[in-house]
Parts: sequence; C-alpha cells; structure tokens
Amino acid sequence: MSTRYGMVIDLDRCTGCGACMVACAAENNVPPLPQATSRTGLTPMLVRRVSNGMEGQARREVFIPILCMHCEHETPCVSVCPQQAVELDKGTGIVMQMPQRCLGCRYCMTACPYHARYFNWWDPAWPQGMEKSLNPGVAVRMRGVVEKCNLCHARLHSAKEKAAAAGKREIDPADYVPACVEACPTAAIQFGNLADKDDPVSREAHSPDAFRFLERIGTEPKVYYKSGEAWVRALKGSVSEVEVKRG
Amino acid sequence: MKITRRDLLVWGAGATAGLVFTPVPWKLLSDVSIWTQNWRWIPQPTHRPVDVKGSFCTLCPNGCGMRVRMVAGWPVGVAGVRSHPISRGALCPLGFAAHQLIWHPQRLRTVRHRGSASSWDEAHVAFAKACTEGPVVIVDGYPGHAASSLFEAFAEKQRGSYRVVSGPEAQALTPYETWSGVPAAALGYDLENVRTIVSFGAPLLDGWGTPGQFTRLWAERAVGSADPDLRLIQIEPSLSRTAARAWQRSAIHPGGETALAAGIARVLLEEQLVQARGPMPPLTLAQSAEQSGLSTDAIRDLARLIVGRPPVVAIASDDNPSIAALNVLLGAVGTRGGIVQKSKHAKSHLPAESELDSVRAVLIDSSVPGDFVPRTDAEVFRFAAWDGGSSKADWLLPAPGFLEELTDIPTAPTSAIETYAIASSLVKAPPGVQSAAQFLGRVDPDLTPVDKIIHTRCEALFRARAGTLCAQETTPVAMIPSVEKLEEQLRIGAVWMGEPQHPGGLRCKLSEWPQAPRSECPPCNSLGTWQAPVLPPLASKLYQESSLREGPERRNA
Repeated sequence: MSTRYGMVIDLDRCTGCGACMVACAAENNVPPLPQATSRTGLTPMLVRRVSNGMEGQARREVFIPILCMHCEHETPCVSVCPQQAVELDKGTGIVMQMPQRCLGCRYCMTACPYHARYFNWWDPAWPQGMEKSLNPGVAVRMRGVVEKCNLCHARLHSAKEKAAAAGKREIDPADYVPACVEACPTAAIQFGNLADKDDPVSREAHSPDAFRFLERIGTEPKVYYKSGEAWVRALKGSVSEVEVKRG
Repeated sequence: MKITRRDLLVWGAGATAGLVFTPVPWKLLSDVSIWTQNWRWIPQPTHRPVDVKGSFCTLCPNGCGMRVRMVAGWPVGVAGVRSHPISRGALCPLGFAAHQLIWHPQRLRTVRHRGSASSWDEAHVAFAKACTEGPVVIVDGYPGHAASSLFEAFAEKQRGSYRVVSGPEAQALTPYETWSGVPAAALGYDLENVRTIVSFGAPLLDGWGTPGQFTRLWAERAVGSADPDLRLIQIEPSLSRTAARAWQRSAIHPGGETALAAGIARVLLEEQLVQARGPMPPLTLAQSAEQSGLSTDAIRDLARLIVGRPPVVAIASDDNPSIAALNVLLGAVGTRGGIVQKSKHAKSHLPAESELDSVRAVLIDSSVPGDFVPRTDAEVFRFAAWDGGSSKADWLLPAPGFLEELTDIPTAPTSAIETYAIASSLVKAPPGVQSAAQFLGRVDPDLTPVDKIIHTRCEALFRARAGTLCAQETTPVAMIPSVEKLEEQLRIGAVWMGEPQHPGGLRCKLSEWPQAPRSECPPCNSLGTWQAPVLPPLASKLYQESSLREGPERRNA
C-alpha cells in the first residue's frame, strides 16, 4: 500500500500555546538567534493568531499552525527549484528539502502559496556549551539556504532502522510521530497515512468540517484543517487573508 | 597566422562570456557556498548512542513528567510522559526547550558578594556568623519538597522561621484556609468532575496549574459541541488566549472581578438559585454593574448560566476573597467537582511577602522566582542557577540548574489528588555549584541530607501500602515487594498516586461577605502563571518570531 503522510489540525482544539513551535525547533536543531524577528526567523512550524475582524463581544479568535503543506500535485516549490533541491518523495508523499543542493535563490519561497518556507540568514550559533544539546539525528541548519518542515524526516529514518533491525518491512506507526504532533497538549495535531482509508487521520480529513487552504489552486496539500466554526472554514480561500487578519 | 593583442582580448572576452553558460561557475559558487557553510567552528551534533531517561520538569512546582533523551551524558531533547497521571504527556512550551537552560548565558557559576567575586568559604563564614548573631529566615518556593523539610529543621534549630513564596494558583486557595482552617496546601480543584468553570481571569489554557491536566480535559470535554459537557466561562478584561477559546466570555472593566463576583452572588441569593441563604454582598446590583462594566441584565443572565450545569466552580487568578466567597455560595467547597481536600498531612506556612523584621539574615532558595525581593534590611543570601545581573541580594550563590539536582516532586498545587515523584540528577552540576540544602548541611552537619529525607518518604509510602505506582503499567503499592524497589521505580520516572479523598471533609463558614483588598494591578496572564527563572533561548520562537505572546518584561530590571 502506498503511503501519503499528512496531518489534520483541529483548530477548535488549538490553544495557541506554541509548544509545537518550540518542540519543532528543538528537534530540528534550529538555533535560538536573538536577532531573528517575525520576518527573519526560522520557524518551520508557525502558529498564527487570526481574528474574525469584529470587535467587542463579537470578536472571535483562532490559532492556526502553518507549516509546509506537502503539496502532492504540481508542487510549486519543486517545479521552480533550479537545483533540484526540493523533491516530492514518491514513497511517502513528503516534500523533501536538501539544503546541500540549495543555492539560496529563494524562488521556492516566492512560489510557495502558503509562505511556509524560510531563508536562513545566519550561521547556526548557540551560547557556549549549548551545542551539546543538539539532536544527533538532525544536521544543524546551514546559512544561506531555504528551510521548511520535512515532517521530522529523521524520525522516519529511525523508525525504518528500528523496523529493519526487527526484520520488518513496514514501520510501526507509533514509531514515527513528528515532534509537533507529540508536543501538542490538546492532541489538536493528528498525523497519519492519508492513503489508508482506515487511518483515523484519513477519516478526519474527509469530515464535513475539514478543509485545506487554497484548495482551489489544485496543489493537493496534505495538511488538512478542521473547525466547527464557519468563519474559520471561510479562511480557506486565502492564506494572505490569514496574514492580514493576524493580531 | 599571427595572433594579435586584439585577438587575445576577443578570445578572452568570448571565453569569459561563454563560461557563464557552462555549469562551472555555478558549481564553483555552490561548492564555495557549501564550504563556507560548514566552517569547522560551526557546531555539529555529537553522534553517540541515545539513552532515554525518565524525569520530571522542575521549572515550576507542578512537576510534569518528562522523557529526556541523553547523548554522551547530556540532554538533547525532552518529551512528555503519557503515563503521568496528572500531566498526561503534556509539557508547556518552555519545558520543551528547558534542557538547554544548563548552558544559558545567564548561568551563575561563581559566588558574588555585593557585585564582586567571592568564594563559598567566605559565604559560609558570613552565614554562620549571621546565625550566631540573630534569627535567620529561610524562603522556599516549592514547599513540600525534601529540601523544604531540611529548611524547616534548620530554621527551627536556629530559632528562625521558614517562609514560602506561593504561585498565583496556590494563593487563590488561601481564603479557604482562613475560613475552614485547612491549610491551602491541602486543597485542590476536582477538575475531573466539574461541568461548569467560571474563570475570573485565571489563564486556564495558558499554563495554569499542571499544563497538561486542564488542557486535556478541555480538549476532551469542551471542544466540538455548541453545548459541551464542560462549560468554560472566562471573565476577563482582555481577549486572552483562554478567553479566545472559552465557551463563553465576558469582557469586564480591569479590576472589576470583585464587583462582578458580588453581583453574581446577589443574584444567586435574591433569585434563590442556590441553597445558601447568605451572606448578602454589600454592593447593589447597579453598583456591581457599574464597577464591572457589565449591565445588570448581563449579570443576571451570567448568574443563571453559571448554575445551569452543576457542579460548578469559580477559579480566581489571585487570592481574591470575593471569588472564594462565591464558591462557598455555589456549594463548590468540599463537594465533588469543586474545591476538595487532597491531603491530611499538608502544613500551613507563613508567606514571605510580608515584612521580615528583626531578622539577621534571609536565605532564599533557588526555587523562589527571581523577581522576589524580600522586604528586609537583613543580609540576603540568594541561591540562583541563573541571574540577569540585577539581583539586589548581598550574596549571590550559584545553585544547580535544570536536571542537575536530586529533588522530589510533591503534589502539584492545584491537583485534587496526592502524588509523589523523584527527579534524579541526570546531569553533573558544574564545579563551584551548591544547592541551598548542601550549603545548610555544611553549616549544620547534623541536618538530614536530601537523599535520606527522600528515602524516608519512600519508606513512609511503602509502609502505608496505599495508592498506586504509575509507570508504563499501574501497580498498587501493596504489590511492590520492597521499599528499595519502590524508590528505584520512582527514581527512574514512576509516579506514586494516592487514593482520592472524600470531598465532604471540607467546610467553610462565612458569616459576612468578605471585604476585598484589591490587588494593586489587575490579573495579568500574558506569561502564564508561574514565571520561569529565565526563559530557554528557544522561547524566542514564542516572543519574537510569532504573534502569540507579548514580549516578557525584564523582571529583574
């Protein structure tokens, strides 16, 4: 059976605590750069606070975690990369970024309709001694390249190694859980195989409250969102609208 | 054929232009780029086998369960522990980067005396001299720990006193101590059984209590329905993250909580929506409306809504007695789903915030938040693992940091059930670092050290044969063969959980509506409840690189 890893993020459950952002950065050896800002930081998982634009008692807010949507069809970043530094893994559906090939031209950042790619402006640096806390399964984030979420691919490698050591061909799904999914205190982020109709995530992705951002452009993103509130579902038409309504 | 200078120039220009259309310059550019991206001084991870250890977070008194990944003896990542009965696999965002605090740039590594370098010997001499000259006060931030017993024993022997700095959640329970005589440390919220929560500015979804406990309950019982099983009503001046996700919210004037609680109480009594018949608050409904910013009709509707789905409990963000009195009227004290007594052994402690008169020295443990400054003229000995360089203490003493110290984790302040755990020392503390317990142990060698106190506590748990041990599997303590086995399990991450107490043992008598001494500033939950001594560097993701939170104030400035 083919595998198509994806997520369903229940926005009604998200409290905007930011645990997913911090866990993602710690897992992927993202350096804590004091000079980074909301425009220049490296945040493969970024939680945005969005309102319905009303004031007073009528004002409603929602927290939207934005990450690489792992587009399945005509993946925009893959098609524009001059270096073949981005590719769609046929076996897993994960859009992979290879920083060693990346020139840092940032075409992919321009092409990404979800603004889920980040340019790394600085050499990775940690306070003295803190390099001992680096995750051995992941390389440090190199300067001058574009970075994004790769669904904690190192964890998939570990799960495959574990399965191979046990003489199995398939991994145990419990062995491959991205850091943000593991960190979410309300289980708002669910991860699984969208190609498996029996997978709970696949079922959730087809629920009436589920939607995908910019579905109309036909890139078949594999990150689904879910909300029981109509005004939240109405945000699906435009990620730029999400950005405008921040704060 | 004669080659002219002009031919050479043309050939050179053509070759240069043509080179641009070959892969050579781009490959060179790429290789140079990769080369400069991998200078030898750029840090690289240590590739050694990964070891996973069970421990507990000590950033705040709630002690969430942690799974720590270790490489070459250093922590490289943390995750929650699903088998923890209270935190249930969750950690706050700061907890996920807390392992980096060991190397925080503000780590305190040397003894400082009034801004100058000093030594442990000099600190010992000064403290021992102070002990002979007058009473000494020990200030603790995590009462109930093994070190707390040592502090109390020392203070008693020196005819000094032991004081406590409590977090906002623990302070919110102090009015019930006054009215019932049961120590606030023995009380907790029975959140598992409550069906309506009225939060007066308490940041329930933003780090209140044990972060995973309420957020999981909320996600399971309050999300996904227009009429959920658990109703969260948030009353707050601003649209906080808790208010944004609450079932209902009421925006009130800043500082209007006291008046609104009185107004709700008046409606409950006048319309006989509760069994209690008094005391009646002194404020009229119109006065409550004016001070709180809600209309009289809105207050009436709110009161009816609150009692619509019992059990109901009101949760304050501070020690506001009006909100506590509202709970008494609602019958939420000593009942299922309300405020319950979890322990019969907890003790009452004096707060450290009051003025410390006629004291020769004050010793402050590293568990006390960095913004606590004692109101005293005495000589202050401040233990801290980190310091922003702005401490006003006479002596600044470097303490063990995160995961560097053996400590035990008593019951979380808001929990309704007793728990006990042991956080082992996973990382060797740097040289020149001492805990307050070690320091006092050198001053008075007769004090029982922390590891022996922990062992004694394990023996007490084993002898009682009550409760269960929660690890991957849950085992009744009665089934554990020896105290050594019990302690061994606790030291590798298991949690002891006591039996639930019968809620009926707690009674509050309220003869008149309390006069509310309003706090000087309105409740503020922008940083959660218990502030970490310093923020992990990766907290920049929360404060600089996203719009989730306002930047923290520089508390030591």
